[in-house]
Amino acid sequence: MSVLARSTAVARPAAIAQRRFRPGRVILHTFLIAMSAVWVFPLFWAVYSSLRPVGDTIQHGYLSWPSEGLSLVNYQTFLTQADLPYYYLNTLVVAAPAVILTLIVASMIAFACTQFSWRFNLTVLMIFTAGNLLPPQVIIVPLYHIYLNTPLPMFGSIDFGQFSYPLFTDNNLLYGQYLGVTLIHVVFQTGFATFVLSNYMKTISKEITESAIVDGAHVLRIWWNIILPLCRPALAAMATLLFTFIYNDFFWALILMNEGNKRPITSALNNMQGEFFTNDNLIAAGAMLAAIPPILVFIFLQKQFIAGLTLGSTKG
Amino acid sequence: MGDSSEAKRVRHAASGRIMVPNTGIELPLNLDLSRRDILKIAGYGSLAAFIAACGGGSPGSSGSANVTAKGGSVSIGSNASDPGVKKGLADIVSAFTSANGGTKVRVNTVDHGTFQNTITSYLGGTPEDVFTWFSGHRMRFFASKGLVAPIDDVWSSVKGNFTEGFAASVKGDDGHVYAVPTDYYPWAVFYRKDVFAAGNYKVPTNWDDFKSLCAQMKKDGLIPLAFADKDGWPAQGTFDIINLRLNGYDFHIELLTGKQKWTDSRVTSVFKKWSEITQYYSPAFAGLKWEQGADQLLRKQAGMMVFGLFISDEFTASGSKADLDQLDFFPFPDLGTQYDAEKALDAPIDVFMMSKKSPTLGADSGQAKAFLEFMAKGSTQSIYWQSSPGSIPTAKDTDTSQFPALTQKAVQIVSNAKRITQFFDRDSRPDYAGPDGMQGFLLKYLSNPSGSTSSLQGQMQSFWDSLPPE
Repeated sequence: MSVLARSTAVARPAAIAQRRFRPGRVILHTFLIAMSAVWVFPLFWAVYSSLRPVGDTIQHGYLSWPSEGLSLVNYQTFLTQADLPYYYLNTLVVAAPAVILTLIVASMIAFACTQFSWRFNLTVLMIFTAGNLLPPQVIIVPLYHIYLNTPLPMFGSIDFGQFSYPLFTDNNLLYGQYLGVTLIHVVFQTGFATFVLSNYMKTISKEITESAIVDGAHVLRIWWNIILPLCRPALAAMATLLFTFIYNDFFWALILMNEGNKRPITSALNNMQGEFFTNDNLIAAGAMLAAIPPILVFIFLQKQFIAGLTLGSTKG
Repeated sequence: MGDSSEAKRVRHAASGRIMVPNTGIELPLNLDLSRRDILKIAGYGSLAAFIAACGGGSPGSSGSANVTAKGGSVSIGSNASDPGVKKGLADIVSAFTSANGGTKVRVNTVDHGTFQNTITSYLGGTPEDVFTWFSGHRMRFFASKGLVAPIDDVWSSVKGNFTEGFAASVKGDDGHVYAVPTDYYPWAVFYRKDVFAAGNYKVPTNWDDFKSLCAQMKKDGLIPLAFADKDGWPAQGTFDIINLRLNGYDFHIELLTGKQKWTDSRVTSVFKKWSEITQYYSPAFAGLKWEQGADQLLRKQAGMMVFGLFISDEFTASGSKADLDQLDFFPFPDLGTQYDAEKALDAPIDVFMMSKKSPTLGADSGQAKAFLEFMAKGSTQSIYWQSSPGSIPTAKDTDTSQFPALTQKAVQIVSNAKRITQFFDRDSRPDYAGPDGMQGFLLKYLSNPSGSTSSLQGQMQSFWDSLPPE
């Protein structure tokens, strides 16, 4: 808040110098400051709680000045007890392959549907787009049974400290595996990715593809060497969006996994709650830590992120 | 497998006969066994050697454990996820491993809320051999669905270590035993000793004294009864105890399992009685979490709170030993009915059960049963109690001298109770007890407790009738 106040204080003399004081502007800025305060307040509250030891808030309530001072003790407790790096890794081994696979599959479909004319290309595109409208909850029960009845071979595992990624399974089933959750993410994200990528590819003129064919390039080569490099901004935007979607998802891991230690980062937060007693300050600290990776992704890729929001909105 | 008697037994088994150790008796054996047959044979007792041979461990030598096996492996599905109780279970596991010939134990820990919400898909999928669960309707439900295995053989060797109340709490509808009780905690009326001393208050034993104490506290500027019902379930604790005192254990259980009607005049009388104390509740209780209600008691803003023993967790977390030492409780006052003599109360019991669909149970059943027997020991339960002092061991041979006064008192009031209930949401269907059902109805009642409840009771009954068969 103080940063906000300071920046407006700095900005004001310049504004006054340039134009006359108008009541409309005052109302506008009061409104804007009030709205941003409403948005910032919950975040500020979470940070404030996370910095207070739980005994302090029990004795004096949340609406009080910290009598014992602020400390990082909750963060320390969470980092030492919650096995955080392990759960970050759980999310990563599901999310990273899912994003890559989705982009490969979706760009292939979009490529085939937009760069070539064949009988059902529009129908196929429509089916993939319509797939977005299907709520995942509808298919939980059949999917659960499919996963339970799909046998997979066991080829050992890739171990990394206490972390272990089974190839392809550790119980002969698709159920309860990282791979299973990755696959269902691919299935559900492909529709959206295809929709966006095909709209982008429509802006690439067909002459490029046609001249490549004349030069004797194979279809796969056109896709890989010509179309994909041209789609780089779209792919980067999609990768950012998909990663955030999958990172925030807890639903599939809940239904399709039975082992607590394979579940994603969000379950590390739940693990810190007791059967009855919950240390809300500790959970606030954990939530802050769990929010770091998507925030980092956003900061580093925000150009693509914002481009992604309007991607494919016009046919060009 | 190197020793010769082991090899002999295997040879015997291969030739279609099996030798019972230390008896010289040989039994015919059909090797074409289904898993069910193996369980059946294990159930006959005195065939420990058979299981031991299957498990690949050294032959069992302990006298009483005749259905169990040493060595081998076993898996545990656990909802003990927060670091304290997780360590408690880990300590038990390592004690079990060293006591049971190096049995390899794999623990799958799932956080408490998720474990509960996904229990049906968990038990129907690939569950672990044994798992943590609750007594009451929730136990009997999965038993009648055939998702858990009966453990009468384990129970017959450990039942001497439990009171009759506990024995009744682990029986399924078919009369078989399905669980081993491990810990419990009672519900009562909690207060601070120093607040009672300062106000010269006396512990009330009957309803009129209780009400006049509330009135006195209000006059003295206290919230007489801390109450926090944001999560919906705390109100059910008060409903349970008033119904038990007014209408008795049998009616309560029948009502919660649909054998009595919610429109019954006896239910009306519960709401009427309850309305006499609702004026003493915390302001804005519908928005308070239980921790905030407990804080009112801790900060001497409130006089009493009808709650579970785990309220002490909040006092412990405050970091102030002085506050924890002031915490005390008394049983809910008598209401002057014939059912006062039952001294019934809510004392939810946590249990360990054996899942029928575990893919490894065929090989591990001896070790699973050994683990369940191990959990029935007072010494084992004490290990868990160290990490979770809010829950009390169930075994008779537990060393109670180590307990603080509060826990000893809790043991006392539960052993005085002639009937024990498991709390509303464990005694009734989960979908009926939940936010769409009774939690919502009770909040509605509490928003206008003095009004007529007949239409609300009609809604309760029609909601029950609208639920699909379980």
